[in-house]
Amino acid sequence: MNNERLPRPTKIDADMWVDEAIWGHRLYDEQTPWLCFMEFLNVLQSELESGRAFVESEPNKLAYSPKSRLYLRNILFNNPQLTLISSKYRYDDKEAWLQWYEVMGKGQAGIVNADFKYLEKRFSNFGDFASVIQFLRETTIEGENNKRWSSQFIFPYGPDCLYEDLNVKDNGFTNDRRFFGRTGELLYLMLTRSGKGVQILANLQKSVLNPSNKFNRLVAALEPKDVVSSSPLRTGVYLPYPELAGYELLADDWLSLLESNIPNYDAIPHLVNITGLHLIMYSLNRAKAVLGDTNKLTFILEIVSPKKTIIRELSSDSFIEHNNMSRRAIEAYIRQVIETESWNQVTDIHEAITVLKNEYAWPKDNKESEVELVNSPDDLINMFVSAAINRHKQHVNKFHGVWGKEIGLSSRRGARRLRYAPQDMLLKSLVLCVVPKRMEFQDFLDKLYEKYGFIIGDKQALELTEAGRADLEAFSDNARRLEQRLASMGLLRRLSDACAYVENPFGIQEEVLP
Amino acid sequence: MTIVQSEWISFLRQYGPIPRNDNMYDEAIHRIIKRKNIKPIIVDSFYLSELIENYNSPNPKSVILTGTAGDGKTFNCREVWLALNGSLQEWQNDDKVKELDLLNFKKLYVIKDLSELKDEERGILNQFVNSVLNPNDGNVFLVAANDGQLIEAWKHLGTDPLTVQVKQCVEDLLVTEIKEKSGFNLRLYNLSQISAARLFPQIVDVVLQHPGWNDCNQCSLREDAQTGRTCPIWENRNRLEGNKDEQLIRSRVTDLLELCEFNGVHLPIRQLLLLVSNMLLGHPEAKDRLMSCSDAAKIVEENKTSLASVYRNILGDNLTERRRESTDVFAALGKFGIGYETSNTIDNILIFGEDDPELLPYYEDLVLNDTYYGADQTFRANQKEYLEGVLDSGVNFLESLRSQRQRLFFVIPREKENDLKLWHLTTFQYAGEFLSDVYRVAKNGKVATQITSRISQGLNRIFTGLLAKNNDELILATSGSHSQAKVSRIFEESISVPKKRGESMQIRMNANGTLVIEVKLSSSVATVELPLQLVRYEFLSRVAEGALPGSFSRECYEDILGFKSKLLKRLEERRRIDEEDSDDESDLSFRIIRLNQDGLIDDRIVEVNYDE
Repeated sequence: MNNERLPRPTKIDADMWVDEAIWGHRLYDEQTPWLCFMEFLNVLQSELESGRAFVESEPNKLAYSPKSRLYLRNILFNNPQLTLISSKYRYDDKEAWLQWYEVMGKGQAGIVNADFKYLEKRFSNFGDFASVIQFLRETTIEGENNKRWSSQFIFPYGPDCLYEDLNVKDNGFTNDRRFFGRTGELLYLMLTRSGKGVQILANLQKSVLNPSNKFNRLVAALEPKDVVSSSPLRTGVYLPYPELAGYELLADDWLSLLESNIPNYDAIPHLVNITGLHLIMYSLNRAKAVLGDTNKLTFILEIVSPKKTIIRELSSDSFIEHNNMSRRAIEAYIRQVIETESWNQVTDIHEAITVLKNEYAWPKDNKESEVELVNSPDDLINMFVSAAINRHKQHVNKFHGVWGKEIGLSSRRGARRLRYAPQDMLLKSLVLCVVPKRMEFQDFLDKLYEKYGFIIGDKQALELTEAGRADLEAFSDNARRLEQRLASMGLLRRLSDACAYVENPFGIQEEVLP
Repeated sequence: MTIVQSEWISFLRQYGPIPRNDNMYDEAIHRIIKRKNIKPIIVDSFYLSELIENYNSPNPKSVILTGTAGDGKTFNCREVWLALNGSLQEWQNDDKVKELDLLNFKKLYVIKDLSELKDEERGILNQFVNSVLNPNDGNVFLVAANDGQLIEAWKHLGTDPLTVQVKQCVEDLLVTEIKEKSGFNLRLYNLSQISAARLFPQIVDVVLQHPGWNDCNQCSLREDAQTGRTCPIWENRNRLEGNKDEQLIRSRVTDLLELCEFNGVHLPIRQLLLLVSNMLLGHPEAKDRLMSCSDAAKIVEENKTSLASVYRNILGDNLTERRRESTDVFAALGKFGIGYETSNTIDNILIFGEDDPELLPYYEDLVLNDTYYGADQTFRANQKEYLEGVLDSGVNFLESLRSQRQRLFFVIPREKENDLKLWHLTTFQYAGEFLSDVYRVAKNGKVATQITSRISQGLNRIFTGLLAKNNDELILATSGSHSQAKVSRIFEESISVPKKRGESMQIRMNANGTLVIEVKLSSSVATVELPLQLVRYEFLSRVAEGALPGSFSRECYEDILGFKSKLLKRLEERRRIDEEDSDDESDLSFRIIRLNQDGLIDDRIVEVNYDE
């Protein structure tokens, strides 16, 4: 497999090129998995319209143009008086619209010469309009969050529901990448490089990218017809490796979900979860590679038990080890320069600075004076490491923790320390991805270990139990708890004390049909 | 008279939750029975005669006996062996595979425990494959294995098409819970399907009628008229026998076991024997927490008989927490939270009953009346201190309240169940109603409309995410996607709950004898069923009555949404058949729902004039 890191972009805005070199530009903790998925859809739809869906002719040269859809967004999310007006003028439709136009005229943001009058022709009365808006608002992604209105998204019923995260001012907008931090772009590139884009696209065009879906058409009806709402070209994404086994595993899981019998759209929450998991694995695996650690990435999972168990400790240790890994990788990645030929030839600080500039784009030209004063190249490295770690701590370092929580992989439930303790929704996603139809429980555990490195039962924990860190019984109890939880979720059929089958309800459904 | 050390009691004790309970294993029991000359505890085997008949018939089929550890697989094998004139001696030797020539000229192979076979001995399974596929084969098998071992053993077998075929057949029989599949000369009996609720009364009878109790006739401890002291074992035995209260303990425990089964927990005979043994002999201060005769004497001496309470023992309260939780039967019964859950009525009776004229009759009846396990001296002393507010006296009393609640659950007479809200003493407030008014009624009749209405109201609240009161129709609504949003605003259809033009919702037994909520959309599409077990019933009832139980809401919530998905799928089908195309390319009309002032669901038809 081609494991050469791709060349970095010629122009670098950031203070240094360290996080990005390892994980790409970029993994962003504040962009939740759902928003990553939404950004991804924006990229894909735009590329689809340009006839390049999942095609990367030259690495890291993605340039796409998402939609802004400011009419739609003002109506949905910057429209606080809607219900008030609707009930106040319940018996005077004309007045309701007039009042609303006036309020919107003052309150809207980002549209030049805004005119909302087209709506009146499309709805038979204001009450209808208000109830449609209320319904669409209730589909807001991540429910009631406290993000700004221009960072709210509705459920992706189709292409007309897609638009990018923006910072909207009175008469214009910029993309400040507050919540679309390019993680979705990375996801897009990963799926592109998995080589399974065509299959994935075909499936998505049946649901999220299907323009003829009724609800998509409803959303389209809220936008004026002739307004162009494309944003400027977005470029600059960087995904370091052309090929990784992880890309294909991710794509495979997507396909198992998309090709199962899950009813329309219901696969999406699972796609989001499983993407989150793969990106967490990606972030850890990249860090391991830098650290020269070739052991399989494993997670010790506690299936939540009412009481403290040894598994809880182990799983918490496993979490903490992973949580520190990216920081260790940063340091290792920088210090590896010391082994290089060019560093050995360094005679003074200036030469050392040049080497670092070449390798890591640090320090910036205008900041050179701040670092020149250090005593030795060693001090320079230390200074750089601490600057890099400070920067790392702001976002990439938090990725593992934040995303783990978002997808329900890690939690603090019943304890003070964070640990891997998967929640029901994630467990369901895993069953849907791993079990085509029916699978014996022990095989299921094996499969989870093989695919995701999840250690749950005693067979997967052999290494730990042999090292005396826990007894087999603790792990078989853990597996039993999983069995019970899956059974209570209707995902497992238990035959007796020693045998159970995990069942994918959407894999089996067709079989039951008369 | 002296205190008798009964062999029977120490034999019975071996069945209890002690560290090494040999009596768990058929093999070991036989040795003890022989040595001590005790009559074994034998519960009628459900399938035995059918099995023997099979092997005596001219065309016997091979049989796999499967089930949970303790269901009686080995017992059944041995009884079949002996009935077919196999010798006991040969049975007891170490051969893993036993051979016997049958009268129908076939050769019977008995494998009493598949997991005992070593790898090199597994070859015999190839013969098994042949006998299953070929009815004229000269061999016939009887194989006992729990299903885990069964699946495991097959994994190691070859992958030739014949083996795979038989393997698939075995898996299908296991998973679909049927006995036979055509084309295969094989039967599979799953002993785990025998209901614990049915076995339990039988086991109690067999234990209570055991001649071993005659030992007690000579014992001075049995009932001492002079001192008024009674042996706690004997006391427990009498209470379990229930001559005074119409066998109330037995019937309440049976109810609990039946409810466990609804929640998918199977308890094998071995666990039931363990339960009975613990009920009679449990005491936290005895060795291994189970009384022997000499322990009993000491306990009487030290005035600690109240801790031997049969009511606490049912729930394993005599055991350490660890042991209780690792023993299946107590883990299962523990889920009911008996002793921890309560209602104001019950606690008021226990605490203030004496001074409250309204509660006094109950207090006398339920507490004062029972001086052995109820209002014994310690309880009354603690109660008095607690009420008078003596410092630091609360802990002991509150601790004993738990035991008293446990006792009350098993002694409140049937006719007072409703007045005293018996099932509020458990986690499942609707459990009593579920058993008597739903499950037992549905077996041969119609569940009351009032209950069906409540359940449909609960369903509607989950289906729509709104606090709806509609209870004579099911409202199918989506949010465009099936399960994404918490509130579903888009009205799809309403299905009548009473029978009407092919539509209906009923609570009934389906063809497999499972209790289900059954929804019919029309005669042309298949019905949709949701198995209705206790947890779901409780959940839906509580949702309907308004209070969402936080503890077990999530899993049920998902289940109900899954059920909605299935209904919507059938609805699509019905529309296709009736040619009501809903998703017409040009149509942009929606029915959006909201709650009106009466809490009923209204819908508004919204039409949008827009074409691209």
